[in-house]
Parts: sequence; structure tokens; C-alpha cells
Amino acid sequence: MTSAGIPYEHAVEAWRAAAPAPPRSLDVPAADVLAAHHPDHQAHGTTTLRVGANAGDRCPSVLADLLESASLVDDVDIAGTAVADTDVVVVGGGGAGCAAALTAADQGARVLVLNKLRLGDSNTVMAEGGIQAAVAPEDSLQRHFADTVRAGHLAGSRDLVAAMVHDGPDVIRWLIQLGVTFDTVAGDAGEVLMARGRAGGTTVPRILSCRDHTGLEIMRSLREAVALHPGIVVRDHAPVVELLTDTHGRCTGAVVVDLVSNAVQLVRANAVLLTTGGAGRLYVGSFPSSNHYGATADGLVLAYRAGARLVDVDSFQYHPTGLAWPSALVGQLITEAARGAGALLVNGHGERFVDEVAPRDVVAAAMLREMADGRAVERDGQVGLLLDVPSLVADQPEILTDRLVTLAKLAARAGVDPTAEPLMVRPTLHYQNGGVVIDEHGATGVAGLWCAGEVAGGIHGRNRVMGNALLDILAFGRRAGRAAAHAAGERIRRPVGLHHLQQWQRGLVDAGLPLDRRAPLLFPPESNVTPDDVMARCR
Amino acid sequence: MTHIGGSPRLLTALDTLVGVDLDAWLAGPGGAALTAAVADPAAAREAVRLADLRGMGGAAFPTARKWDAVAAATVPAGERWVIANGNEDEPGTFKDRVLLEHAPHLIIEGALAAAACCGAANVVLYVNPRHAGVEAAIAEAVAQWRDHHLLDELERVLGEPVRLRVHASSGLYVGGEDTAAIASVEGGFPFPRRKPPYPTTHGVEGMPTVVNNVETLAQAAVLLRLGAPAYRDLGVGEASGTRLYSLSGDVIRPGLYELPSGTSLRSLVFDHGGGMLADRSFKAVFTGGPSNTLLATDGLDVALDPDSVVAAGSRLGTGAMIVISEGTSITRKVAEYIDFFAGASCGPCPPCRTGTHQLSQILHRIDTGHGTPADLDTLRSLTALLPGSGNCGLVDAAATVVASALERFPHEFERQVHHR
Ligand SMILES: Cc1cc2nc3c(=O)[nH]c(=O)nc-3n(C[C@H](O)[C@H](O)[C@H](O)COP(=O)(O)OP(=O)(O)OC[C@H]3O[C@@H](n4cnc5c(N)ncnc54)[C@H](O)[C@@H]3O)c2cc1C
Ligand SMILES: Cc1cc2nc3c(=O)[nH]c(=O)nc-3n(C[C@H](O)[C@H](O)[C@H](O)COP(=O)(O)O)c2cc1C
Repeated sequence: MTSAGIPYEHAVEAWRAAAPAPPRSLDVPAADVLAAHHPDHQAHGTTTLRVGANAGDRCPSVLADLLESASLVDDVDIAGTAVADTDVVVVGGGGAGCAAALTAADQGARVLVLNKLRLGDSNTVMAEGGIQAAVAPEDSLQRHFADTVRAGHLAGSRDLVAAMVHDGPDVIRWLIQLGVTFDTVAGDAGEVLMARGRAGGTTVPRILSCRDHTGLEIMRSLREAVALHPGIVVRDHAPVVELLTDTHGRCTGAVVVDLVSNAVQLVRANAVLLTTGGAGRLYVGSFPSSNHYGATADGLVLAYRAGARLVDVDSFQYHPTGLAWPSALVGQLITEAARGAGALLVNGHGERFVDEVAPRDVVAAAMLREMADGRAVERDGQVGLLLDVPSLVADQPEILTDRLVTLAKLAARAGVDPTAEPLMVRPTLHYQNGGVVIDEHGATGVAGLWCAGEVAGGIHGRNRVMGNALLDILAFGRRAGRAAAHAAGERIRRPVGLHHLQQWQRGLVDAGLPLDRRAPLLFPPESNVTPDDVMARCR
Repeated sequence: MTHIGGSPRLLTALDTLVGVDLDAWLAGPGGAALTAAVADPAAAREAVRLADLRGMGGAAFPTARKWDAVAAATVPAGERWVIANGNEDEPGTFKDRVLLEHAPHLIIEGALAAAACCGAANVVLYVNPRHAGVEAAIAEAVAQWRDHHLLDELERVLGEPVRLRVHASSGLYVGGEDTAAIASVEGGFPFPRRKPPYPTTHGVEGMPTVVNNVETLAQAAVLLRLGAPAYRDLGVGEASGTRLYSLSGDVIRPGLYELPSGTSLRSLVFDHGGGMLADRSFKAVFTGGPSNTLLATDGLDVALDPDSVVAAGSRLGTGAMIVISEGTSITRKVAEYIDFFAGASCGPCPPCRTGTHQLSQILHRIDTGHGTPADLDTLRSLTALLPGSGNCGLVDAAATVVASALERFPHEFERQVHHR
């Protein structure tokens, strides 16, 4: 796919000569370009699942290998291990996990948050551009709903989208109460209004932001609230490696590895809530990824093995503007807000080739077309396209200090002067569109198990609009937290076991799949730490 | 849907698993058993004795002895009872619900044949309403027998019309114990009572009653059709007939297997069950549901017929075999089963009520990492104290399985209480 491009020096000359770049043709036939160039539409690198609730569905091979794998633990290994009891266990401490924990604890539940890394070390802190919510007078829930469903190619669940957009304004109010300081502008009469940006593929400016580190600001406030809540206990460096189930297949808790003491521990809970985030670090299709270190699809693996159904697991979002150079920073993201503010994408001939604020999948596919057809730019072996930040700065001199502060920092790290030189960017594996099937309360098909956040699916269909992920994780995090706390109210002590594994192993045997391939992965491939290594340390 | 396998298949033959369709049943093997029983009830009882038919409800009691006892009673047919016990509610046992749903006429014919043999005009099909679909299926099947000419012939033998009806049990496990089933049929709460006197003399309303497991009655129908010699020949060696084995646990292919009585445990697990799951080695099997002594590797070659299993120190029980691999914890399984018994203990016998509860609590502590060595001592003394202290066998079953696990796998328990 990455046939060599036009040498960087030549490309920059062409850009300089033409800037601001003239359009070659912006009228990209979206459906054709998607079909020909978007990775979701390519068959290579995918396989058909043979075991589990989605048997028969297509799935990227790297993910299928994990979904169709054996457990890291055996019943006999965990028998007699001390069991700690709590009402609700939340697995994963990103935005969805913290929102769920806070809501469940507010309902009176005792909540334990288990984290693979540290609380907040997550995709949530990396979110730059902002969060969508229909709060403006000229906007409406209906418009937000329609924009979301349309951008998702009509594949999202209308009920879930309705639930999410409905919660939008309340989520923003809640965040403000928690201390999030959104950007503001002065209205005509001098009143303070929330500043709003426009996301690709939407009809109204609806993005609320905290400069270009919205996720960090939200996470900062959530962390603070979690730390101060007496009903929440947080454990870091404690990944969940398997779910506990009873004889009826109900989820009754989790198997945890304490990475500090190298011990396997059991937690029993009346409700288990998975908020483990995404799968970017699987490098689907060998794309670089914008995701944080912990994004290894653990939650998908755990839920799937316990019997939950997944949806759209063959659909990922490739963010158009991950850095493509220098190699050490490949995958680092430049927010879509840069394009929203007017930054142009330019090929090696100094031409624009797509409407920069078209839906993300269309922009990414158009970029991949430029790369495939030899019109991209090459520098030190990396291939990408140019993001014309200098023209943007010439137009809006304050933008790097007022709004795109992260972009400025990233450019500095790359050794690029963003006021003088374009940045080299390329489509980057960014977001898992699909995930575990949930209802409006985050309930999965497995009793006792809820999911929220990027691990859940069905909301964004096959393409997500910028800013809807942050809304999704908070809306469904809070919904699932409330439902889990409610369920935990029964306070029944259910037996713990690994009853789902028998049927699962039979499925693997029937499909002729290996029994020694184990997951969840826990750490990305480049860590050189396999899950078997982690378990071996505990023996 | 339960996987059904094995061979030869008589109770589970394709022309027998016809569901509620009586015409289909009678077009196939149906009718022959009842015809034989009404033609000569005494000869039919003799065939049951010669075939050495044993109860499949757990105790392996000789069926002919029950039938002979009721047949010898002096009260009229209208005061004698046959109860077909289909309550089935033990972990790991699932044969009766399959028969009731898919071969209801085989059971009904067996029960009517028993009525002919015992001179009983009251036949009750006692089924568990918690088995989805079974109650409706059996009621529909019964309705199809109305006005059938074989019932007229049965009336001729009994001297009055047979009263065939379905009675939904409470669904509770103890409700399957024979005296509890009788109490339930009488309209009371299914509390077991002390035996003796036995149901054959003091059953429903104090009258002579045969309580047989539904598989026993199905087997009786098969043997009356084939004749005792042919039926006996189906078994391996001295064993007679076929048997339904409910195979579950860590095997690749769990399911209901009909195999010659006396088939080895090894053959059931490895030839029919597909072998052990996930390439783990065999560790043990809970025989006859979790109510008996565990068999370990040295028991793999035991022939699965009532006498051989007793000789190996256990009991065949209901024919349920819950297989445990090296990957599965014995303590956890035992805790799970005792939890079941404690929940199923019905109350009137204090040692059972408190004893099973205490066993359950201790095992639960051990299973969740909070057990102490003293807990093991308590377990051992309870298993010595409890047997025989209840009206029915529930507390004995619980004590047996705990004692057996402690004896066969002491290290698993000790590892779990010592390592903290
Ligand atoms: C660079 C970047 C920029 C983005 N920008 C935006 C944006 O502008 N607007 C927007 O709406 N969305 C944006 N997104 C998407 C959005 O940030 C994420 O989809 C969202 O934050 C996911 O939240 P989450 O709580 O579901 O998962 P995360 O925030 O990723 O949290 C998951 C947590 O679970 C932990 N975990 C994983 N496995 C285990 C395990 N086995 N046991 C215990 N813990 C585990 C992880 O370590 C992590 O802490 C962006 C994403 C990225 C990567
Ligand atoms: C607690 C308890 C529960 C029982 N449950 C059943 C049952 O569900 N079905 C059954 O056939 N026998 C059950 N039995 C055995 C019956 O008491 C009785 O022995 C059996 O129905 C006799 O039939 P059989 O001789 O054909 O085996 C149970 C026994 C006990 C002690």
C-alpha cells in the first residue's frame, strides 16, 4: 500500500510554490474511494470467526487470534485463592470506568476499580479535539441523532444513539460540576457562551473543548472525584485476566493479577463492568496507532469468552492525521480540530485532494489513495501527506497558543517549525468502531456483566464522528454504573468459578483451534511481555 | 439441546423418540410391552425378575421386588398406586427430562404395564414443572391414550378403568424422594418421612404403592417387548440391558449416552465422550450425580453396572457421571454440590438442615481462601456424625461426597488451607 512517494524536499517546494494549495478535485466519490481504499473494505488480513457468539462473522486476523484463544487460568490454579468481595467491580480506569465508578458509588454501591496501568493512563487522556453535545440554541437532540446515525453509515443502533445524544447536555453539566473548564467565547451581548467547533461530517458546530487537550482535562476532574469518593477503592497495576462465572453462566467477578506482588487474586462482585477501552495496539492492518499502551482488546476477549456478542468488530476508525514523520513519533495524533479550523491536506504535488472536513473514513481513504497512487510524500522511509499548518497560522496567528497547544508541542518534539513547515501525516489506527453488544443501560447478553466505553459497540455504526466517543463513554459509563449499582443492591453472594470455560474449550476443540494460544494480551506486541510471561511470574 | 449418543439405542432409538405422537409410537415399537403385560401379568413380573431390572432413580433396588409386593396386596385395584417418578433435580443428571420430552409414550406404556403387573388402577406421572416443556408434552401424550383399546384390556385385568394422570411436583429436589413424592401426590408438602414402613405397603393414602423412576419404567417396557433373555444379552457380562448415562464435566462431548449396562467408565469417557477436554488428564468422576463416593483413575476400568460399581466402592446412582480433569479443583466442585444439598434440605430434620448448611459454609470458606486447618477437622467429624440422621438420604449423600473427596484428594484441601 505504501509505494514510495515524492521526496519530501520536492514536495515542500511544490507546496511552497502553490500555497495555499489549489484543489485537484475535492469531489471525491465517497463510496468508491471507501470501497477501494478504506481498510474496513479490504478482505486481506481478515478471517472468519469459528467459535463464540459471532461465529461466521469476519474479523481482522490479529483480533480473531485473541478472541479465539484459551484462558490464562485454570480452575485448579485459582481454587482456594482468597476472594475479596465488593458490590461493583469496574475493570479499566479511563473515562468510562471513572464515570461508571462515580455513578455506582453515588448510588451507595461499594466500588472497586481495577486498572491495568494507572488510573487515567488511557485513551481518554489522549482525546484532544473535544466532546459533542447538543447545547446550542440552533442545535437539537434530533440533529445530533441524525448526524451520528448518518456518519455511521446507518449501522448504529438507533436506541443507543438516542440514549447517548439525550444524555449529552446533562453529561456536560455534570462535567462542569466536577470542575472541567470548557473553552468559552463572548456572545453578542458580552455574555459567556461555550465555544463550539465543527466536526467532520456534521451539520452544526457541536464540539465543546478544553483547548486541544479535552480528554486530559476531563480525566483530571474524574480522577480527582474518584480519589475523593469514599465509596471507591482503586487498584493500579492490577489487570483482569479472566472473568468468574457461576454454573448458570452469570458473571460473578474477576480474576486479577497484581503486577506488583505477582499474585493472582479473585474479586467477587454482584456486578462486573468492563470499561477496558479499545484495541489500537493490535496494529490492525499493520497501521501505526494513536492509542495508549493498554489498548489491547482485553475487554473484548473477556466478554466474548464469557458468551457476549460483539458487533462490527471488523470496523475501525483510521484517523487521517497521525504523524508520519519522524519515526519515533509515528502515530502521535494531530487533532481533527486543526482541519476543522482550516488546515489543508496536500499531496506531493502541492495539491489538495479531499474536502478536509468530510467524514473521517472518507478523508482517510482519500489519503490512502494518494499513498497507493504514488502522490504521497516520502521522508526517511516514512510515507505520508502534508498538513498545511503554516497557512493556517498565517490566517489565524493566535491559533497555536490559544487552541492547538498540543499541536505546537508535538511539532516542537518533531523538530518542525509549524509556522514555516508543513507536518507529515498519515491515516492512523485510532478507534474501534464496534465492540460488545449492549443495551441502553450497558447490559450485555451475559447476566452480571455490563460494558461501557470504547469496548462496547453498536453506537457509532461503522464510522464515528469526532467528539462522540467522549460523550459515549460518559453517557454509557454513567448509565452502566447506575444499572450495575442497582443490580448489586441484591447483595447475594454468588459462587465463583470458571464455568464458561468448559463450553469455550469445547468450541476451540471442535473448531480445531490451538489450545495454547492465550489471551487477553495485556501488553502490546512491542513490549515483548507475553501474557504467559505475566502468569509465569505468579507461580 | 442435549447430545444423544451411544449404541445399541433402545430407549433412545429414533422410532422411540417420537414425542407426543401416539400413532407414530404405535406404528413403531409401541404397544408390545403393554400387550404382553395385560396378557399375563404374573409372567411379566417374572420377566422383570429374570431380567434383574434395577431402579434407575439412585438406589438400584430390584424392581420385581417392589412389583411383587404390591401385586400381593389384598386391597382392590382402585386403592393401589403406581407413581412414575420424573422429578429429576440433581446436578449432572438429565436423562429423565430427555425421555419425558422425547419418548413420553415409552414411559407411559411402562407405567401402564407396571399397573397391569401390580393390579393398580391409579397411575401418576410425577413430573418436574421446572423442566421446560415437559409437563405440557406429557399431558398431551396422556390425552392421546384416551379410548385406546389397550386401556380396555387393562381395565379387564384390573376390574376397573385405569386412572392415568399427570401430577406436577413442587420442583424441589427432595420432592423426588419416594415418600416425598407420595406426600406430594396426596396434596401435601413434599417432606420425606421415615422408612420403614415402605411405600409398597404404606404409600398414597396409606395404600400399596410402587414408586419407580421413569427410566426404570421405560426399561421395563423395553424388556417386556424384547423378553428377558434378549434384554439380558444387551448387557456386558453379567450385567443386563442398556443404561442411560448422563455424561458431563470436563469431557469433549458431554451428553446422554445409551450404552450396554456394564460398559467401562473408560469407554464412556474416552470412546463416547470424546476424551478429556483441553488435553488434561482424568482426575476423578462424581458417580450417580454428586451423591456418592468419587472414583479416581484407579476406577477408570470399572464396569458401569450397579454391582460392579458397588464392588469398586461407589454407587452407580442415576447413571450420571460428572468427569473432573486435572485442570479442575475438587474442592470447588464439592463446595458447589454441597451448596446444592444445603439449599435442597427441606427442614424437618435438624441434623440435615444444620449439618448440610455447616458443611456448605466450611467448604465455601475453604474455596474462597479463608479456610483453616481446623475447618478440615470439623469437616471430617461432620462426615462421621451426619449419616443416618435424616428421614431421607439427602444428608447421607452430602456427607458421603465430602468424606470421599477428603479421603481421595486430601492434598487439594490441605493445600488450600495451609498456603496463607
Ligand atoms: C489520541 C486520541 C485522540 C482522541 N480524540 C478524541 C476526541 O477528540 N474526541 C472524542 O470524542 N474521542 C477521542 N478519542 C477517542 C476517545 O478518547 C476514546 O474512545 C475514549 O476515551 C475511550 O474511553 P474508555 O474509557 O472506553 O477507554 P480508555 O480511556 O482507553 O480506558 C480504558 C482503561 O482500561 C484499562 N485496561 C485495559 N485492559 C485492562 C485489563 N485487562 N484490566 C484492567 N484494566 C484494563 C486501560 O489501561 C485503560 O486505563 C481519541 C482517542 C485517541 C487515542
Ligand atoms: C433426596 C432424594 C431425592 C430423590 N430424587 C429422585 C428423583 O428425582 N427421581 C427419582 O426417580 N428418584 C429419586 N430419589 C430416589 C427415590 O427415593 C426412589 O428411590 C426412586 O424413585 C425409586 O425408583 P427406582 O426404584 O425405579 O429407582 C430420590 C431420593 C432422595 C433421597
